[in-house]
Amino acid sequence: MADFLALAVQQTINGVYLGCLYVMVALGLTLIYGVLNQINFAHADFVTVGAFAAFFAATRFATKALGLADTTGYLLSIVVAFGVGAILGLIINAAVFAPLRERGDELRPLIATIGVSVLLENGQLALFGPIPYQFDSPFARETIRIGRIFFTQQSVVVVLVAATSVAALYAFLRLTFLGKALRAVSQDRETAGLMGINPGLLIALTIVISSALAGMAGALLGPVLVLTPFAGATVVVKAFAIVIIGGFGNLEGTILAGILVGVVEAFTVQYLGSGIIDLVVFSLLLVMLAIKPTGLIAEKKEENV
Amino acid sequence: MIVLALLPLVLQTPYWRGILIICAMNVLLALSLNLVLGYTGQLNLGQSAFFAIGAYVSTILIKTNGWNFWLASAVAVVAAGVLGLALAAFAVRLRGHYLAIASLGFAVITYQVLVNWERVTEGVRGIYGILPPPGFGSQIALFYLVGGIALAVYFLLDNVVRSPIGETLRAIREDEVSAASLGINAARWKAFAFGLGAAIAGLAGCFYPGFVGTLVPEAFNIVESFTMLAMVIVGGMGTMIGPVIGAVVLTFLPELLRGIGELRLLVYGLALTLVVLFMPGGIVQAWSALWRKRS
Amino acid sequence: MKRVIWLFAVAAACAIAPLSAGAQDKVIRVGILMPISGPASYFGVMGKEGIELALEQLKGGVNGYRLQVQYEDSACSPLQATNTVKRVLEQLKPHIVIGEECSDASLAIAPILDQAKVPMLNAGSVTMKLTESGYKYVFRIFPNAEQQSLPLAKVAYETLKARTAVILHEKTNAGNDNADGFEKPFVAMGGKVLAKIDFGRDVNDFTAIATRIASLGKVDVLPTFALEGQTVRLSQALAQAKIVKGGGGSAVQMGSIWLPYGFDQKAGQASEGYVRIVQFDPTENRKIVQDFVKAFKAKYGADKVPTHINAHAYDAILLVAESVRRGATDTESMRDRLSKMKDVEVTTGRITFDGKGQNSDLSVVHFVETQKDLSWKALNWR
Repeated sequence: MADFLALAVQQTINGVYLGCLYVMVALGLTLIYGVLNQINFAHADFVTVGAFAAFFAATRFATKALGLADTTGYLLSIVVAFGVGAILGLIINAAVFAPLRERGDELRPLIATIGVSVLLENGQLALFGPIPYQFDSPFARETIRIGRIFFTQQSVVVVLVAATSVAALYAFLRLTFLGKALRAVSQDRETAGLMGINPGLLIALTIVISSALAGMAGALLGPVLVLTPFAGATVVVKAFAIVIIGGFGNLEGTILAGILVGVVEAFTVQYLGSGIIDLVVFSLLLVMLAIKPTGLIAEKKEENV
Repeated sequence: MIVLALLPLVLQTPYWRGILIICAMNVLLALSLNLVLGYTGQLNLGQSAFFAIGAYVSTILIKTNGWNFWLASAVAVVAAGVLGLALAAFAVRLRGHYLAIASLGFAVITYQVLVNWERVTEGVRGIYGILPPPGFGSQIALFYLVGGIALAVYFLLDNVVRSPIGETLRAIREDEVSAASLGINAARWKAFAFGLGAAIAGLAGCFYPGFVGTLVPEAFNIVESFTMLAMVIVGGMGTMIGPVIGAVVLTFLPELLRGIGELRLLVYGLALTLVVLFMPGGIVQAWSALWRKRS
Repeated sequence: MKRVIWLFAVAAACAIAPLSAGAQDKVIRVGILMPISGPASYFGVMGKEGIELALEQLKGGVNGYRLQVQYEDSACSPLQATNTVKRVLEQLKPHIVIGEECSDASLAIAPILDQAKVPMLNAGSVTMKLTESGYKYVFRIFPNAEQQSLPLAKVAYETLKARTAVILHEKTNAGNDNADGFEKPFVAMGGKVLAKIDFGRDVNDFTAIATRIASLGKVDVLPTFALEGQTVRLSQALAQAKIVKGGGGSAVQMGSIWLPYGFDQKAGQASEGYVRIVQFDPTENRKIVQDFVKAFKAKYGADKVPTHINAHAYDAILLVAESVRRGATDTESMRDRLSKMKDVEVTTGRITFDGKGQNSDLSVVHFVETQKDLSWKALNWR
């Protein structure tokens, strides 16, 4: 029994860690959807770009050029990735979302972002090549052991950063004026505009924040992923699944769903086999959509379904 | 039409004739997606699943059970259609992006089943030595077969679209709520569109393994759905000729770009993005705009 | 109307399509099918590096013939491979085709090339089917799944005295074949396979898998068949879970030639105690190997050590050149010279093709074990 308990705890920890990584990726997606009603298919590629940015910042810049310690360098790279993501967000807003905003079309921006995704992947391929880069976080070197349970400092960092981001986002949306304005825009763009809020600016802000989060997720995921230009593709569809399971545009739901998916994955690996992870996760998605399409925690919006 | 028929004689080499066959298949696929997406307005990103079902069901019946090609294909088409109805069940309750992701999930699940159900599908090992339909071994013959079927489907869909059914579908696309107030049973017609679209995609799938000779699940991963989507959009969604043009362009373009090697996909992505941003109605719209300007 | 115009344009384009078969001067035409786009370009990029180096060294020609190559992107997919092989056959009319890397794609083009009576030289696929299907024109210098896994199974059971194993492999044709190639002989000798864990190429986090393995009881060996990137993460996870030697455990990770030199540095301490067979060994003393390594570094950078993928592609061109040296001037004589090769020395060892076209000379294949300082120590096991 103790064996089983230790195993269950370990896999739960693994699942939570993995889940937090997924949450970091999915946060930005759900934010964009909540405010803009748009899906950014290039989101996962922003994560990849963030990962590469973090890699170069940590290995070439921070330690070599600035001579910082490994750990500081890594933490700095997270900030760099955040910034790079933000810039990407600005660009994609200007290039894709803003021009297409007026039509209220759901499909065209989606397709445009698919095109951007292909562009980013192949652009990075041309720049970085297909051979995996070795991005090791200095926090992953030491393993922490408590009895039979193990995890690395990296997992702690990930969970902390994820929790902090979520808390910060939450506070921003609920407590600040900008945040409240964002929520107003998401609920009713026209009325918000009538009330003196500039929707265009706020939408741009949303996309920037979302993409910055993606970049930061890349910095956290870099040491976990096999870092190639295709790294984002390995998590993108799952991230979408999480956003839906949690409820599009719903922050709490996304977090819950992300952790849930992580834990489901870990236990699937343990008892069913790692080859069918995707099968299980997406079956879960379809089941959710069949019985509760609005997600784990429903937002009170009529036009969701 | 005549030019089309004579093409295999102009393009004499096995390579280009092969591309023609692929083009015909892509036309079928684009037409099938267009029915669901362009005319009924359903955001379906999972069309690759039905393509896969057509390919696998027909191949398994032929190889493992010794069925005749035509019978096996008929069953495969029906199977694809039934699966389409299953997806329609989701479409009835979901809209917009929810449907998009649900259909994507559908496609992923289908792919995963093909990969994991090794006893039946051989999984990643693949099925080899698949023959083209008996009597159609030569590439010219195969092209005429698939091309002919594509043509027939085109006319069939054209008629459907021009008929009251087409109006119903368009009504659903424009505004489902109002359509319901007009007494339209959206659920039934969505099922129709999905089922028919899936069946046609499955039909295309029946010819795929015979042409390549090899069947692996990787050929049906979700990227294929995006390619089909691109064909419909680039050609001109919601028109009949649009998907055909899109299929032709997006089949030949990567081949013609082979000269530039590594940058091929980069150009592809750029083209797709630019078309969507600046030519929303696709090539069809651009062409008629040009036409109008001249007259 | 518009369709007509477009289709005419296409027809015209094909008519203009380059037909680079120069019939006048003495040229040996080599078609090369590699995955140049997509994730599999991992192989294509390295393959191209090896080929380009060989071509550079052969610039003066062989026997008065110069080598002309045409690269095609087969993207690791049977459909693309089929298309590009047809394209290359038409446009180039090659004397020999080198390709592909992925087993699926190689199996797709083999029957086409065999039927066209053009020799196919494969330098990267593992599947047994390639040389077990009776093709007369297919040659492979890459060790197949059985050649790779059988020695692992024997050493595991007899030398390492392992009785339990957990096989880890990527979910591909190659991964499956290698895994089976280990399981069958190991079980036949009396070993027990506790689990066969497969994973897609898109799996990144291996802590759940490592946890699962830890829960299976005493594991002696962990044969692993995955690409470098995933194996690094896997090894690190296994070390964290205290399963393998590198993490304080007792299990020995075993691998095949899939892992290039440099893997150990990337995986770090986790790779300590890793036992694997290597064929191309950049530390090997043979002159041809050292010359190759030097030339490779000179061309691509002093910190770039060639991998086995570089080496096999390089060797493929060497063999073509050797065939020409022995009098091959067309497809038939090319096939003939290749089939008769015995003990031809290349960077990855020696080449002697058996009746099925498979290189059966594995004399340079040897075991290495990763030391605490992450260097290789060659072992004398067989």
